[in-house]
Amino acid sequence: MSTPHHEREPMLRIEDLTVSYHRVPAIHHLSLSLGFGHCVGLFGPNGAGKSTLLKSVAGLLNPETGRILIEGIAIDQAASLIAYLPQRESVDWDFPVTVRGLVEMGRYHQVGLVGSFSQRDQTAVEEALELFNLTPLARRQIKELSGGQQQRAFLARAWAQEADLYLLDEPFGGLDRTSAAALASALGTLRERGKLLLVSHHALAEAESLFDTAILLNGELVACGPTSEALSPQNLECAYGTAIYSGAHYHS
Amino acid sequence: MNWLFHFLSLLVEPFSYSFMQRALLSCALIGFTNGFLGTFIILRRQALLADALSHSLLPGLALAAMIVGLSPGGLLLGGLIAALFVALGAQVMARNSRLKEETAVASLYIIAFALGIVLIRFAKVKVDLTHFLFGNILGVGNGDLWIAYGAAFLTLATLVLFQRPLLLTLFDVTVAQASGVRVRWVETGLLALTVLGLVASLQAVGVLLSLGLLIIPAATSYLLTDSFNRMLWGGAFLGMICAVGGLVISFFANIPSGPCIVMLMALFLGAAYLFSPRYGVLFKLIRGRHYHEESLERWEGHQGHDHQVPGKESKP
Repeated sequence: MSTPHHEREPMLRIEDLTVSYHRVPAIHHLSLSLGFGHCVGLFGPNGAGKSTLLKSVAGLLNPETGRILIEGIAIDQAASLIAYLPQRESVDWDFPVTVRGLVEMGRYHQVGLVGSFSQRDQTAVEEALELFNLTPLARRQIKELSGGQQQRAFLARAWAQEADLYLLDEPFGGLDRTSAAALASALGTLRERGKLLLVSHHALAEAESLFDTAILLNGELVACGPTSEALSPQNLECAYGTAIYSGAHYHS
Repeated sequence: MNWLFHFLSLLVEPFSYSFMQRALLSCALIGFTNGFLGTFIILRRQALLADALSHSLLPGLALAAMIVGLSPGGLLLGGLIAALFVALGAQVMARNSRLKEETAVASLYIIAFALGIVLIRFAKVKVDLTHFLFGNILGVGNGDLWIAYGAAFLTLATLVLFQRPLLLTLFDVTVAQASGVRVRWVETGLLALTVLGLVASLQAVGVLLSLGLLIIPAATSYLLTDSFNRMLWGGAFLGMICAVGGLVISFFANIPSGPCIVMLMALFLGAAYLFSPRYGVLFKLIRGRHYHEESLERWEGHQGHDHQVPGKESKP
């Protein structure tokens, strides 16, 4: 944290990252850099390491080799800059918390253990609710929202946290068309505000309309760049046409 | 007004005995603390783990009784060690074999319970098993009171101080971990406080019923509110009211205090289950399932204000 603010490079840098489960690597020697202000789609077949990459950047897994830096700071020193959005299934929607309470959780890091919410914290919460059109719903329990509103509530929590990097694991899964459009526009807003979004996604069809940048994985990095270039037919053939080693197997 | 005076003096009368004063104080402290702790256990979905831990206290109590006799401090320590042994042992078993954690917990706690019953036979002093199993609130001594004070202070202070990291962890472990919360510490701490809560309520309600004080008041309050804070303090006050109320009723009705306390809590839980304005079964039946306004708005947004089914218009 010693780097002065103006010297921080506004980017996510992954250097030579290898992550393994039970000694079977899920990501091999991956290196890439992403500048802020982009909405990045993460593509690849099942088992390509999309979730593993997101979890590694979130600091949930211990890499075997390499390191991950955000704004030049190692991620384990920069937890508050990174927001990992839960998958829908992992959330207890009956939890006794309102939308406002959920967004307030984003401020806990700044407020500390027992401090009370300052004017600045309150403002951050209000701003987050406003930005994602949740102000009229602020008093609702989180189960009383539509799927798209629930996603926006979690984005608002990340906004209140003042995160710069948003990690979303298949956020479009299970959303109807209207909710998906609302989520896409919310992601667009975040990109315009200079945030970096890393979003795993399985459908290639609407890739170009949702993401300005794409990462294609199949255990290794196949391509990373502007969506249309990264998802070129040759790259897709390379990513989806090659069998992925996923676990112990025997050769006859 | 005369009858009211008589009624009140009748109600106050038992508390002129010092054993009854100690019992009352102990019930109030334990009821409040365990009701407070219950919110965390319920939201962490560990009610059944707590049940297993309550049973696994027994061999620790028996060992303590064998070695140091019936001193409250020894029993506390014995119970703590036995329960932590089961909790951590189950984790080790689950990690090193294909047994899942709930299978390991269930096996270990029932083994511990059986071991406890065997060991009690060898205790130096004569131990009444039913006191361990169902409590003996009128036997609360000064030592037990000190443990209740200590447990209440430690539990409430820890939970209030670490409420925010706890809340993040309860809500979503993965996200909490990603945001820098040391979730292993939080989980282990919560487990330790659960065991402390169980041991502290032994004298009042016993091994078998101690779970009630931990779970039922918080479960009742969970059915009544969407606010974490209200659930927390509601559970605590309800726990205190039921523990004290149950004690008073048990004195007059001449029935054991533990079951009396649990039955009183059951009354509240049943009432909340049926009549809670938001989540009660009866009100759910009466009230529609939909957010009608919103659904209507959405429909109108797509279709304009025409509510007629298209096919009907063509009919004369």
